[in-house]
Amino acid sequence: MAWIDSLSAAQIAAGVVAGEFGATEVARASLDAVECRDAEVGAFLQVSADAALEAAARIDASRAAGDPLPPLAGVPLAIKDNMNLAGTRTTCASQMLASYESVYTATCVQRMLDAGCLPIGKVNMDEFAFGSSTENSAFHPTNNPWDLERVPGGSSGGSAAAVAAGEVALSLGSDTGGSIRQPASFCGVVGMKPTYGAVSRYGVVAFGSSLDQVGPFGRTVEDVALAMNALTAPGRDPLDGTSQEFAVDFCEHLDDGVTGRRVGVVPALMEAEGLAPEVRRAVERAAAQLEQQGAQVVEVELPHLDAAIAAYYVIGPAEAFSNLARFDGIRYGYQEEDCANLAQQSALSRAHGFGREAKRRQMLGAYLLSSGVYDKYYYAAQKARTMITRDYARAFEQVDAILMPAAPRTAFKHGELSDPTQMYLSDLYTISLNIAGNGGISVPLGLGEDSGLPVSAQLVAPAFHDRELLTYARALEVAFGAAPVAPACAQKGGELA
Amino acid sequence: MALTETDVRGIAEYARIALDTDELAEMTAYLNDAVAMLDPILEYADADVEPTFHPIGDLANVVRADAADAGRSLPIDEALKDAASTRGRSFRVPSILGEGGDC
Repeated sequence: MAWIDSLSAAQIAAGVVAGEFGATEVARASLDAVECRDAEVGAFLQVSADAALEAAARIDASRAAGDPLPPLAGVPLAIKDNMNLAGTRTTCASQMLASYESVYTATCVQRMLDAGCLPIGKVNMDEFAFGSSTENSAFHPTNNPWDLERVPGGSSGGSAAAVAAGEVALSLGSDTGGSIRQPASFCGVVGMKPTYGAVSRYGVVAFGSSLDQVGPFGRTVEDVALAMNALTAPGRDPLDGTSQEFAVDFCEHLDDGVTGRRVGVVPALMEAEGLAPEVRRAVERAAAQLEQQGAQVVEVELPHLDAAIAAYYVIGPAEAFSNLARFDGIRYGYQEEDCANLAQQSALSRAHGFGREAKRRQMLGAYLLSSGVYDKYYYAAQKARTMITRDYARAFEQVDAILMPAAPRTAFKHGELSDPTQMYLSDLYTISLNIAGNGGISVPLGLGEDSGLPVSAQLVAPAFHDRELLTYARALEVAFGAAPVAPACAQKGGELA
Repeated sequence: MALTETDVRGIAEYARIALDTDELAEMTAYLNDAVAMLDPILEYADADVEPTFHPIGDLANVVRADAADAGRSLPIDEALKDAASTRGRSFRVPSILGEGGDC
């Protein structure tokens, strides 16, 4: 029999439909892989074995009854712990929500379950998604499956690591400034931030409401396309006012190739200070491959991108401060006991419930929204957003997609970036897309010749051209190969019985 | 002008986050570093463009009839189950004004 990590999500679903193995066997194999691998990787905060086995039993019963099976029947799924799933805790990796039990299920999670996925568990993240390394979790750090001394990236580090370790075939993450694409790059898997509005945010704990977007991780481009179908096919979500109709089949044009397509590269980004030479060379190889497959690679400019990080660190903390004001310790969350009055209870509950970075971001947001400061920074940041969005619009008059790094370097060691403002720079290549709203995908390109760690490229398309992103990503996958399971984890538990 | 610890104490009060003396010093240093990092944005303050507050330009508020929707309402037990302190069918909070303790 096969090992669970040798199969893609598409292969698992096909095997379940064909009766080669049951969904229950898949669930058990995935849970065994978690049991055998996760003590070292630390991707999971909570394993929902009962829910996974119950979902699997329903699929097996459907098959036995001759009912049609959903497209991701029996596929093990990990869920970032800022997404509600009734019957589980949703902690956002924070002491603030350490004992919070979800009373409802996020639309994105429900859609994956409706498509047949098995909820293996909730995975680690930087607290409330504030970070780029998953070191800010209140519970434990997550290790990069390719090198346990290194971080998996963040904030969706658990989602990326669980897929890279072969514990699950698919996972969900959220991306506010790069939190899907950067960990996908560090862990050598495919990670997609769809266009803002493509995927419902209902039931996902909000960080930056004009920036947050949910997206999938997988080891193949096809798996990510299947997940995008599951997330969007039921149509716009009436429970999220920003949810948009996005009626496309993401699998339909995967193998169309890139002949005649125009792909832009941005010289300023390829020459940016801090870009590791091995990453630059990998992106150059990706450009050469696309050209070899018939694309035309041309230079484009995005002249205002240098303002993106500053704009983000105005808009993000301002929105986070507003969103996290709800955590007052009254209706849910950590509550300080024996306080003299409500104001003291709120201030102490928030002081002791939130970790250091969560407090920093909220303090920065509070300052930026305070009288006299707001006009100076907030409007300027939103004007920069206009300019960055226009930059992309102008570039997309010349090209169909843009190729750039996803992260400036490969995974760094735990503790290596201790200065928070230096950590913020690791999102150099991802942040502008959250500002502008269009979609991007991080595609693995093998291992860097200097570090021996995964390197990647990011593809960017105009808003709601996400399906085309998958076609480019597939072209790179054909050239560079599908993402392997991290060697130290492969076939370590998880045999299909 | 750099933020002082007095400034940061005021921001913390506004943000409802109690800071001890060590945290106050660390937060002051952080905020000054972080605000310095934002300097590039000031070049855009006078840009002759409209600000973009949201990626979806024509976003409109979603409204519904001002009536309870039983399908979307939590049973009271469910709504209370994550609260640290409840009394009967209510969330329990300390005194809102003064220092009257529990109420």
